[in-house]
Amino acid sequence: MQPQARMRQANPHLGVYYGILTSAFISLGLCLAMFEQLGWRQSSLAFAMLLGPVAGYLAIAAAARTFDVADFFVSGRRVPPVYNGAVLAAVAVGGIGFFAYSGALFFLGFDGLAIGLGWTAGLILSGLLFVPYLRKAGTYTVPGFLGQRFRSRILRAVASLMQLPPTALLLAAEIKVAALILALFLPLSYSLAVAGVALAITTITFIGGMRSLTWSGSAQFIVGVVGFAVPLIVVSVLLTNLPAPQLTYGEILTPLQRSEVTAGLAPAPPEQQPDAVLPAEAPRASTKPFAQAFGAMSATDFVVLFFCLTVGIAALPSLLARSGVTASLADQRRSVAWGALFVALFAASAPALAAFVKFMLFQDLAQNHSGTMPAWLGQLGGYRFFAFRDANGNGSVDASEIALARDGIALALPIAARLPFVCTVLMATAGLGLALAAAASHLFTLASSLADDVIRAADPRNAMLPRVMMVWVTLAATALSASVFLAFANIDAIQALVAAPALAGAVLFPALVLAIWWKGCTIWGAIAAMLLGFLTFTIVLIFGGSLPFGHDHLTTAFAALIGAPVGLMSGVAASLIGPKPSAAEIAYFDEVRDSRGDALYDRARKRVTAAATAAAASAPTPAPGQ
Amino acid sequence: MSEQPGRDRHQRQTLILLIVSLVAILTAVGISILFATQFDRIVFLHFPLGFYILAQGVLIVMVAIAFWAANAQEHIDNTLAESEED
Repeated sequence: MQPQARMRQANPHLGVYYGILTSAFISLGLCLAMFEQLGWRQSSLAFAMLLGPVAGYLAIAAAARTFDVADFFVSGRRVPPVYNGAVLAAVAVGGIGFFAYSGALFFLGFDGLAIGLGWTAGLILSGLLFVPYLRKAGTYTVPGFLGQRFRSRILRAVASLMQLPPTALLLAAEIKVAALILALFLPLSYSLAVAGVALAITTITFIGGMRSLTWSGSAQFIVGVVGFAVPLIVVSVLLTNLPAPQLTYGEILTPLQRSEVTAGLAPAPPEQQPDAVLPAEAPRASTKPFAQAFGAMSATDFVVLFFCLTVGIAALPSLLARSGVTASLADQRRSVAWGALFVALFAASAPALAAFVKFMLFQDLAQNHSGTMPAWLGQLGGYRFFAFRDANGNGSVDASEIALARDGIALALPIAARLPFVCTVLMATAGLGLALAAAASHLFTLASSLADDVIRAADPRNAMLPRVMMVWVTLAATALSASVFLAFANIDAIQALVAAPALAGAVLFPALVLAIWWKGCTIWGAIAAMLLGFLTFTIVLIFGGSLPFGHDHLTTAFAALIGAPVGLMSGVAASLIGPKPSAAEIAYFDEVRDSRGDALYDRARKRVTAAATAAAASAPTPAPGQ
Repeated sequence: MSEQPGRDRHQRQTLILLIVSLVAILTAVGISILFATQFDRIVFLHFPLGFYILAQGVLIVMVAIAFWAANAQEHIDNTLAESEED
């Protein structure tokens, strides 16, 4: 009993440790701000600000090293709810959300709010529909749960392969974002930065699995929050005199609207917007007034995007993989609520960032009677986030001729406000921290599932390698594959941000709903739900608007919205037509739905350990000398 | 008659809680989107109201529902555990 009690107890000094870490990070920022005034070079400042925290993450991961299976896969089931919520939020938002969402809000304004709403609603939906039941099942992976629920190794392997595309897409996108940040501020080529990021996240996950992911992820969350909040609050004070950007940016919406009208940005219906609904990576001009409702996308598009992200985030494997890390069911539910709170805080703050940047841009243009470009745009051009073309040939700068890169908007905030360089690199450090947290989490989800659900399913006696060592092999292989992929291919962050949840929503959401909420679901129902969800998603994605019920915009999101119900209906039909569920499947379902008692997987492991101990005790003792 | 009335009641209450939470979230989001342009004519804290509701109001409501649902489900679970002990 003693080891079990120790296992479930969280470290009582966690608050002190992370308090010290937060103070150390703030001190680093303050010291570098002073060094900047003393004349330190920008490259030295960027080096210290970006790599100092990365060294910290690696040190935390090393301190949390483990070879114990329960620690490696579920962090010993003793993570306090707030910390798990923090890591959930860091993984849900990630580096792509940090840069692409704030950038999308700059271009879409009101219409981009669907993304933040979808993230928050998705996390809450996962907490209501899946997380407590996955915690009760206690399996180390989501495919592992499906395999146990339907007593099938084949289903487990199929589910693992089905969760591969969305997770791999997010992994590659997060690595790319982190590498771009490093290549932007450090004297590194993009390829070298990709290799460095892949090495860092592999090291973090390699030495401690979910345990080191959790504790380094908590640190990355703190760095993300501080790095995002400090420049935003400073700019809020400069522009509105109050340090509460979420409440005060309303004050600048009216002058922003006036500046937009002066610059020729008039409200127009979505069909008159020149570009695709979601802004692409390349620099482009802002064409839509910030506060105009449904100017870049219709209300229907808004709903489609919201629902796609809601069902997708609810079934996102990297988030569900954290369903077994807290000490109890109640803690697990509470941790999801904390995660939703943290995501909502970011979702409510990002519009302030976008509004401030847009306000400063348009105000500078409106007040610039000489027709020259604001100086800070030239600085932004140094990062390749800005392009200008005198399209009308009048020799002056118009708003329609200024093209900004979506992913550079977050970094443009401190630059536009003429804050010290440290603030720009602080913002970059925040995005890097979140990108590393998310990338490491996606990497671990992929690698642990491939090792545990595919390879181990084919080798149940672990004849090849011990369980943790098998994950080491798949971790290295997955990180290497992602790096090689990025050497040849490009991924747009916002496309990944929508496509990955869309895939998860179409493929995994229906199967999980049926497995957890319907006793009558059978293995055939689960397989049909996944395969037909995937098939429908692919068909709608390929044929898009040419289908009779097709949709010209947001084809990926729309494909998820069609795929999910088709998957659900196929699952129900296959379960009703095929053989009835076995007594073992029904018994497992009842156990999972019962909130009392320990995790089923832990109970089974205890039984196996007790049986092995009893067998060893009853075995005849070898005679001396034998 | 079920052999485990306590467990059945627990399942029923869990399902009701799920439905209530989902309906509340969807209603809040649906109304906010449906009437966004009408709400925008009203100014609240210097924001157009429709914008403010979707940027912050609905998020606050959703997070409140998440914490309320977690607490309510814990209460339902505790009631089941106590009824089985009796």
